[in-house]
Amino acid sequence: MNLQHLSIASVPIQPWGATYDGPQALKRGTIFQDLDMPFFAADDPGAPNACCETSGSSDPQQQERETMMLQICQISFIADDLRLYLDTHPQDAQAMDMLKNNLAQRKQLLQNFAQKFYPLTMDCMADADPMNANAGCYCWQEGPMPWEGACV
Amino acid sequence: MWTYEKRLQFPVKITKTCPKTAQLIISQYGGPDGELSASLRYLSQRYTMPVKAVGGLLTDIGTEELAHMEIICAMVYQLTRHLTIEEAKAGGFDAYYIDHTAALWPQAAAGVPFTALEFQSKGDAIADLTEDLAAEQKARTVYDNLLRMIDDPEVREPLKFLRTREIVHFQRFGEALEKTKDKLDQKNYYFYNPEFDKQMINRA
Repeated sequence: MNLQHLSIASVPIQPWGATYDGPQALKRGTIFQDLDMPFFAADDPGAPNACCETSGSSDPQQQERETMMLQICQISFIADDLRLYLDTHPQDAQAMDMLKNNLAQRKQLLQNFAQKFYPLTMDCMADADPMNANAGCYCWQEGPMPWEGACV
Repeated sequence: MWTYEKRLQFPVKITKTCPKTAQLIISQYGGPDGELSASLRYLSQRYTMPVKAVGGLLTDIGTEELAHMEIICAMVYQLTRHLTIEEAKAGGFDAYYIDHTAALWPQAAAGVPFTALEFQSKGDAIADLTEDLAAEQKARTVYDNLLRMIDDPEVREPLKFLRTREIVHFQRFGEALEKTKDKLDQKNYYFYNPEFDKQMINRA
């Protein structure tokens, strides 16, 4: 139902359209190109988009951790945005396929991160590698807290 | 039930201390159109929503707002974690410092404390969803205003991300309103309150 009526707000239902890939979606704030409506004063031509890149650390372990963490953020954000879309478009098979595929990738990435470094979720505590120096213990407190800005 | 995932939805890495910027951004933590207000608004309204999918959407957006609150708090924290007394004085952060040192406390940019009076849970789906549409627009305006004032790209990137989320959420609340309208009397949307007069709701 998308008819306009007096005295009540109407917003058109979003049709499926072109999407951004993971890295671009995270930078833009949405996977949907149709909903990417930037503010004129937010234009930063030539400014570095440092937030969505790894720091180029010389420590290979830190570099790998940052790369994996960034991938997890990118993949997970696609799921965040698709989930809201599916909340109002539950019959959209294309979006559902995309979400399923995305969640499988996310699960794998979270598992890999827990094995290499530390668990990001409670479920991942079971994936922590006992050969890893950080694992084999109560590893939930391992790694920096998310607000420290240490990981990406 | 909620579970915690040990990462931010959008990465925040701010290297330059700036108490002035922290004082402006803190409004999106505890201010009238902030993320705390947003999450509590949606997570309070969801229980009595007459359309199940709309209650589900409010849960998911309310949850995302909690993650946005964490992004804002991380920004304030990183902008003030190496704060000196001289910087606090010069940046107008001295009054906040007296009460909270460099800890996080939900307040608006002008120092007004967070209050539940900043949002409504009215118990009428049309009224609540119309408030939610307005809330997303007001939050977008705050991000517009912050982007006009703040130059540091490390601060601007998360702000731009959060601003786009307001536009996406507006679209979803609009779709939720359309779904709710489907359940109402199409000749008179105000004939009854779908959250209270449950026997009247159009179940077709």
